[in-house]
Amino acid sequence: MLKHLSRRRFLQSSATIAASAGVAAPRIARAEATEIKALLITGGPLYPKYWEQIAQDFKKKTGITVNYDLLEFTPLTSKTVTLGAARSGLYDVYSTHTAQIGSFFNHFAPLDEYFKSEELEDFYPVALKYLRNPKTEKLAAIPRNMDARVQYYRKDVYDAHGLKPAATWDDLIHVSQTLTGDGHYGLVVPGQGDPAQRTFSDLLWQAGGEWVDENNKPSFNAAPGVEALTFYRDLIQKYKVTPPDAVSYQWDENSSEFSSGAVFDTFDWPGAYATLSNPATSKVVGKWSTAPYIRNKQAISCAISHAMALNSVSKKKDAAVEFIKFSVGAESQTLNFQDFTNFPSRQSVAKQVVAAAQGEQAAWLGQLEQTIATGKEWPKLPGFSKVCTIMFSAIEKALSNQATPTDALNEAAKESLDAMTQAGAYQ
Amino acid sequence: MADAAIALNEPRGRRQRGPLNSAWTGYLLAGPALLAIIAIFVYPLGYSFVMSFFRWDLSAPSAPFIGLNNYTETLTSPLFQQSLHNQLIFTAATIAVEITAGMGVAVLINGKLRGLRAASTLLLIPPMIAPAVVGLNFRWLFNSQYGFIDALLSDLHLPVIPWLSDPNWALVSIIIADVWQNTPLMVLLFLAGLQSLPLEPLEAAAVDGASAWQIFWNITLPLLRPVITVALMLRIIDTFRTFDVVWLMTQGGPGGATSLVTVHAYLLAFQGVDFGHAAAVSYIALVLSLVLLGVLYRLPWLRER
Repeated sequence: MLKHLSRRRFLQSSATIAASAGVAAPRIARAEATEIKALLITGGPLYPKYWEQIAQDFKKKTGITVNYDLLEFTPLTSKTVTLGAARSGLYDVYSTHTAQIGSFFNHFAPLDEYFKSEELEDFYPVALKYLRNPKTEKLAAIPRNMDARVQYYRKDVYDAHGLKPAATWDDLIHVSQTLTGDGHYGLVVPGQGDPAQRTFSDLLWQAGGEWVDENNKPSFNAAPGVEALTFYRDLIQKYKVTPPDAVSYQWDENSSEFSSGAVFDTFDWPGAYATLSNPATSKVVGKWSTAPYIRNKQAISCAISHAMALNSVSKKKDAAVEFIKFSVGAESQTLNFQDFTNFPSRQSVAKQVVAAAQGEQAAWLGQLEQTIATGKEWPKLPGFSKVCTIMFSAIEKALSNQATPTDALNEAAKESLDAMTQAGAYQ
Repeated sequence: MADAAIALNEPRGRRQRGPLNSAWTGYLLAGPALLAIIAIFVYPLGYSFVMSFFRWDLSAPSAPFIGLNNYTETLTSPLFQQSLHNQLIFTAATIAVEITAGMGVAVLINGKLRGLRAASTLLLIPPMIAPAVVGLNFRWLFNSQYGFIDALLSDLHLPVIPWLSDPNWALVSIIIADVWQNTPLMVLLFLAGLQSLPLEPLEAAAVDGASAWQIFWNITLPLLRPVITVALMLRIIDTFRTFDVVWLMTQGGPGGATSLVTVHAYLLAFQGVDFGHAAAVSYIALVLSLVLLGVLYRLPWLRER
């Protein structure tokens, strides 16, 4: 066969194949782009309905079908880690979060080229800041809703005792001590794993400290860090104003202690507002109110966000980005607030939501805005994910009196420096 | 019969040359299964072993070869040393309690005590429950505010115990959960062993005037050596794989007080995103469990036949 293939015939055949491919390619691309796959966050019975509506609305608008899997926060993070390590193209779009974004800078595609600067200006700057890779300055994800905390307290109990919600660390000790007794506790704080690190982080900033110094070397073991961890430990061990096993509490226990009525004060996320207002999930409906987060030398706590990211190995990036834009759009964020009281990451939407709110809800939204305005997040340097595992153990050791705050933090700082050096944070 | 005789008289070499008897046919038939085993078992094992020699950090831009660094870092890491210390206590304590209690209950059931026969059916329940469910249940059982156990202690005017928040009690808590789930399995294993023992030596000893304890210690227990060996092997392997119950009860806390090597490896891989280091931890744990099994095989009492 090859013997009879002349040069002219070969060129003719090649030209025909090339032309066919040229005609077919856009069609194939269009066909592919009618369907994308997403790994999305869930939690509670309302989330599946929310995503179903978002996917339906998106299909109506663009004709693109979103096939999605839903996972709760922790398994979603674990699955993203696994898929990232495997360089998997299984999902085009991921739900993600500021807290974990540092682990995924290599797995998520930069979004800067898909968003005009005027589009990005609408998002809270603090949210965008910590979703950027500090090495490349590229945006790894786009915020969907803000995660910031305020104080939730039992207004009925406080009023009965003539107390006002705590504004400072000293107030917190005084108010909590007054209310602790008869099987009730004045305060609940989580003391395990990531929630413990989150709590320590807030106290560290409030004490005037930072996670790293100007050279990105660990500085959380300096005097403010020791002051923060000592205060945190003393709430549990010295003043005994929290349930005694708070050291083993995650967010779930933290929230349920307050919603069950056993505890009179806590610091919780925006979703708590909806949970505490629902008689099916709360025994304290109508009995609580909100107040700003406590302060010490500074009034700072975390301002992070749930976000959407694009898989760097996705073959349908344009369609995937369309979905990401839709899911962080004004319409979707308004729905997200209506369903879950999740605070919008777009300032324009937040303004509308705040303007429409009344009474207690308006006050609460104002407090959230205040937290976001001064909010921070821990650094996203190489190796910091490993620092988190070191910190989980160090904080728990101090909280459970296995080590003094100074020893626990010094040991953790030493290990953290090694971990960050090995991960290339100082190259 | 005649055919069989002819077959037996055939020269050996001629039978081996037949196409169905050749070694190649065997390989060919076993091939698909071998390929499946290589794909789902050998390849990931080899891949993770190779990974343990690289700085395989998801947050880093490259994964350089670092030789034995992950292994040396693991062995010198205070968090790993703490996990290993916990692991050895957990393995020794759970095995000691499960084997002893399992043997005791098996002997009672085998003694045909009234009511215990029905209990043997109930014993199937704990091993059938998913470890994740066991972990969640025990997390709530040990909760100091709403937990059943502290409520019971309080009703009995006994001091309540900080099960999950005190480092020592937290380790005891995960041991209790593991014992609750795995002792019934030991009971069933030992019961099967007891029921297969020959009656003659036991009856002869009884006729000779030996007490029940003497019969158990000098005859029953030695005869059960093979079963005990299997039970010990299974439990050693299993304790080095224990993860779900501990993760759901304490996440290795407080302060690493209940962190076993699996929990340490999980945190390194899925929180620290350092897969190379996590792989090294897993291989060190594998070697340790193999060493323990080797020591077990060499115990004189278990080697006696």
